[in-house]
Amino acid sequence: MLSEETVVLDQSVSNSSPDSRSPQLDLSQIRNRFPILSREIHGHPLAFLDNASTTQKPDSVIQAMVDFFQQSNSNVSRGVYTLAEEATENYEEARKTVAKLLNAVSEDEVIFTSGTTAAVNLVAQSWASQQLKAGDRILVTEMEHHSNLVPWQQLCKQLGIELDYWTIDREGCLDLEELNQLLSENTKLVAMTAISNVLGSINPVGEVVKRAHSIGAAVFVDAAQAVARMPIDVQKWDCDFLAFSGHKLYGPTGIGVLWVKQEQMQKMSPWQTGGGMISKVDRQESHWASGPAKFEAGTPPVAQAAGLTAAIDFILETGFDSITRHETELTQICLDKLQSETDVEIYGPTSMESRAGVVAFNLRGVHPHDVAQVLNESGIAVRAGHHCTQVLHSKLGLQASVRLSVGVYNTEEEILRLVTSLQHVRDLLK
Amino acid sequence: MSSEEIYKGVILDHARHPRNRGNLEDPDFEAKAYNPLCGDELVLHLRLKQDLIEDCRTLVRGCSICQASASMMSEELKGKSMENAAALSGIFKKVLHQKDSEDSETLENLRPLMNLRSHKSRIKCVSLAWNAFDECVEKFHETTEKTTTPS
Repeated sequence: MLSEETVVLDQSVSNSSPDSRSPQLDLSQIRNRFPILSREIHGHPLAFLDNASTTQKPDSVIQAMVDFFQQSNSNVSRGVYTLAEEATENYEEARKTVAKLLNAVSEDEVIFTSGTTAAVNLVAQSWASQQLKAGDRILVTEMEHHSNLVPWQQLCKQLGIELDYWTIDREGCLDLEELNQLLSENTKLVAMTAISNVLGSINPVGEVVKRAHSIGAAVFVDAAQAVARMPIDVQKWDCDFLAFSGHKLYGPTGIGVLWVKQEQMQKMSPWQTGGGMISKVDRQESHWASGPAKFEAGTPPVAQAAGLTAAIDFILETGFDSITRHETELTQICLDKLQSETDVEIYGPTSMESRAGVVAFNLRGVHPHDVAQVLNESGIAVRAGHHCTQVLHSKLGLQASVRLSVGVYNTEEEILRLVTSLQHVRDLLK
Repeated sequence: MSSEEIYKGVILDHARHPRNRGNLEDPDFEAKAYNPLCGDELVLHLRLKQDLIEDCRTLVRGCSICQASASMMSEELKGKSMENAAALSGIFKKVLHQKDSEDSETLENLRPLMNLRSHKSRIKCVSLAWNAFDECVEKFHETTEKTTTPS
């Protein structure tokens, strides 16, 4: 079920492409749509700069879920009564909206999961564990989030597969020349993130897919960071699997997406079994449903699907060209300011050409936890720790870092406040 | 409580000048503690004279709160019997985790750390050293049982 507002938004969607004349965001209008931004923390307006971790929700996302619970709440796919039909329609509408966002061939390629982590585990168990055998190789990058690393690592241990690492260069980027040397006839899967959640590096997914396919390897793309930051076209990338979480693109937690190319989905066996994923159950045997349902055992996140639809509509209505432009401008300001501080060490690409709105740094001599704690006093929310990338952090020779990550609603004032507040950290701790 | 209040006085002093820092060459008990949320890690060494903690060292790779808590713990542990120190650990953790629980006189020297009770995210930083100590207590009990249980 779509709300009237959603339909209107839907009509305004354009297949946007990055444009040097990208329209500027109407920032105050955008900010007004996020109720949480009116919160004060320790007497300061909230500056939420932890968008790589999760994003805040616009009014339309919150309302879509409230509407669902107040008007249509019911389980999907089973009942014949009005509410059940509305719930099913609402759920399947989300699938279509995701297909549109990713430019998928069909919504039948869209499997709903609880998030990116579940999607990676699903591919590891349903596809890789059947398709790969001892002696095969999986290639990951050094910048992977634990969610796109640990499931592969564990599968390798189980099956006797080799796990190879594609190293990062001094700027935190991947070198395609090195890829040629790493890909071997035994490489059966390349698992990579489209954008690093720490370095902000934008990776050359399309080029990787081309080279991986030429030697018969499939490609899994972790789009958790990319999905709210850049337009994704799975047909153009030609990847085999792609995953993201709803809560990273201004949608709710508890829902994520695994997109699978049709020919690969046919090779996949169910991971979790139970209700909703069967076509027939006998006393000793069961037969599986076809399409995405085969991988969606149990009651799916129906209300979250309503929120996800609204979130994708919000993104497409705002337009990736203006989102990218805005986030690039803010990140550039942040890099310029932080680079002029002599005791700040920044990680990741120096040029915005290959960098998205994520900046990890350290204030020399102060533990990142302490930096984040003091910044919180000024209402600034940043992340401190290893950001679920311990392999990357040890490569960088670090235990932890402070990370700020911008979103569609952040302002220049917030970035400047962070830089100014670093002096407060120094005064207290240095 | 504000950062100014947290990062001042006793805590900052311990963080900047940690007491009993380092390793013991031949410790009777060793335990490592690790905070998976941030990667902070800590090694605790104890040397006992009978059941008295004669010496205690900590090596911390962590934030200032974690460092300060380890330093303050080391001062508390030295000279106490393992039983008394284990009891202190129990009281400390109980009070730390229950915001409204009664502060105890036993915790006199550790009271500055109780200010962090309102910062749930930092309780793990405060507890890390004590988790390592609790592991040493377990090992101590295992050893004592072995030596006292007739084979």
